[in-house]
Amino acid sequence: MTEQLARFAGALRTAGVRVGLGDEVDGAAALTLVDLLDRAEVHRALRIAFKVPHEAWELYDRLFREYWDGIRPPRHEALERALREQPGRPEWRWDGERVRLALPDGNDDDAPEGDTPGYNSEPMLRRKPFERCSAAEIERLERLLERLAPRLAAHRTRRLAPTRGRGSVDLRRSFRHALRTEGDLVRLARRARRIEAPRLVVLYDTSGSMDGYTRILLAFAFALRRTISKVEIFAFNTALVRVTRLVSPSEVERTLERLPASVPDWSGGTRIGACLAEFNAHYLDRTVNRHTTVMIFSDGLDHGDGAVLGTAMRALRERAARILWLNPLLGDPRYRPETEGMRAAMPYVDHFGPAHNLEALETLLGVVR
Amino acid sequence: MNQEIRAVQVEMERHGYIAEPAIATAVFLAREMRRPLLVEGEAGVGKTEIAKVLARMLDTELVRLQCYEGLDTHTALYEWNYQRQLLRLKIAERDHGERDPHKLEDLIFGREYLLERPLLRAITRREGPAVLLIDEVDRADEGFEAFLLEVLSDFQITIPELGTITAEHVPFVLLTSNRSREISDALRRRCLYLYIEHPDFEKELAILRAKVPGVSDQLASAVTRFVQRLRARELRKLPGVAETIDWAQALIRLHRDSLDAETVSATIGCLLKDAHDLRATDEQAIVELVASESG
Repeated sequence: MTEQLARFAGALRTAGVRVGLGDEVDGAAALTLVDLLDRAEVHRALRIAFKVPHEAWELYDRLFREYWDGIRPPRHEALERALREQPGRPEWRWDGERVRLALPDGNDDDAPEGDTPGYNSEPMLRRKPFERCSAAEIERLERLLERLAPRLAAHRTRRLAPTRGRGSVDLRRSFRHALRTEGDLVRLARRARRIEAPRLVVLYDTSGSMDGYTRILLAFAFALRRTISKVEIFAFNTALVRVTRLVSPSEVERTLERLPASVPDWSGGTRIGACLAEFNAHYLDRTVNRHTTVMIFSDGLDHGDGAVLGTAMRALRERAARILWLNPLLGDPRYRPETEGMRAAMPYVDHFGPAHNLEALETLLGVVR
Repeated sequence: MNQEIRAVQVEMERHGYIAEPAIATAVFLAREMRRPLLVEGEAGVGKTEIAKVLARMLDTELVRLQCYEGLDTHTALYEWNYQRQLLRLKIAERDHGERDPHKLEDLIFGREYLLERPLLRAITRREGPAVLLIDEVDRADEGFEAFLLEVLSDFQITIPELGTITAEHVPFVLLTSNRSREISDALRRRCLYLYIEHPDFEKELAILRAKVPGVSDQLASAVTRFVQRLRARELRKLPGVAETIDWAQALIRLHRDSLDAETVSATIGCLLKDAHDLRATDEQAIVELVASESG
């Protein structure tokens, strides 16, 4: 029984549900208390003892069937096939200087020579496209982010902390001081609202047209998460997936390799509007408040209905402190946000900027304050 | 089903709480394993009610700590009664000319100058374990959560001036959260976890019968069916059981025994409390909901 419990917990972990050793112990304890012949009761008890969050109930049900009833689900053949059949589509590629459309048979959509914007006089790194950055350069990027992150959404909390300056009187501390002067309140201690860490929601487009940036921008999100504890990360293309709990900041590389498998239709098409609407329906209340900065990384190449996107953006804007839309295509000076999706979203975007290199992200600092 | 779990279920029902097996199991496990129970779910599904019913079942005191942004130890744990302390000092100085700070300290840092706040109250109750309800823990900030974790692990509280106070009886702890933010993993792991979904038709009907005396069978089923259908729509704030009960009571006051579009339009404010949802549920939508009701 214990062995089966451990294997079940392991399967949940592999699937991305955090079940720790302590939870396994709780599970074992719970099993001693319930009727083991009653399947429904075991199901309920382990869900309680493993602290399975509501979002993961479906997954829990599936794995429970697999591990306790011995029913193996079919392999994800449809998904695998879809991934194999992918190479029929044209893809957007960053060729070092700008974005171009690469056709699957290799016939690049060649741009005329000499059209390359003049990027040569400035230090290389700041303008070096992420795709070509070395590990050391990525580290620099992270140092930048540590400066950037606190400015994104800093605000004062309602919680009071001791201060030397102005603030309301702190009786408890004043009184302790007063003991030294035989009960006379000579000096008043004060406390004031302190500045709190920012909140961020990162919404990530993982569709095929974003392939060149997905990895590095995800690393950016990880860096944010290291600096700020309150970061929620979502990936979307044709569906929305919450990845905050699937990723672990300390294992960026491993997570990056594992992630495409957990996100349906990784590198597929995009339905931004529908995905944002889904975000609003399920996560808006929980993850966004008036202190939250929402960052959307997307090229705005939407295959869905522009009106849906507009409605979703409006609802999101009502809640959040600000919306930043970072679009790698903006790295190309000739690009204009004229896709239907981009046009629908623009009225609700507080800052619309490029995201193809370090310099582009650095400009965020000036914008966000 | 385990007989003891069944007993918990029956007992809760006797005290007016219709508990599905998941809830009874969670309450039973939390009691047996002596662990706090973290209850999540949308507003109005009856999270807080569990604590009230438990207190009645165990015939004990319900100590409630309502969380809010900025909640600190002074409000949650204890506070010194400064006015009394100051008075005491002045008297000591006047009558005995006492000036030794250590003696003065001994004088005023005693239990009689301590104001008990909910957490301290819950662990110092002598008559037996209390039910401690920490309501809407997601509203307090993370710093408070860390502090709470410490209290819930050891059930002892250290007051610098007094020393450590250990629980007389370990209280039955219930935490509720509306998920306005994610509860820290450490706190979640410390608890057992229960998520309450909106009730299905049978359960909601049973609750309505139990909570609204005088509701006719016809009205109770009509109301329940309507609310169940309303919840299937795309709304920002789905009506909870509390809203269903309010609505049924309102309808009884209006002497209605069945639903028609006009009555529903006039009273829909009992169910929907979001401007956007009210706009989205216009006359036509109500006519449709009521029509499928009778059909």
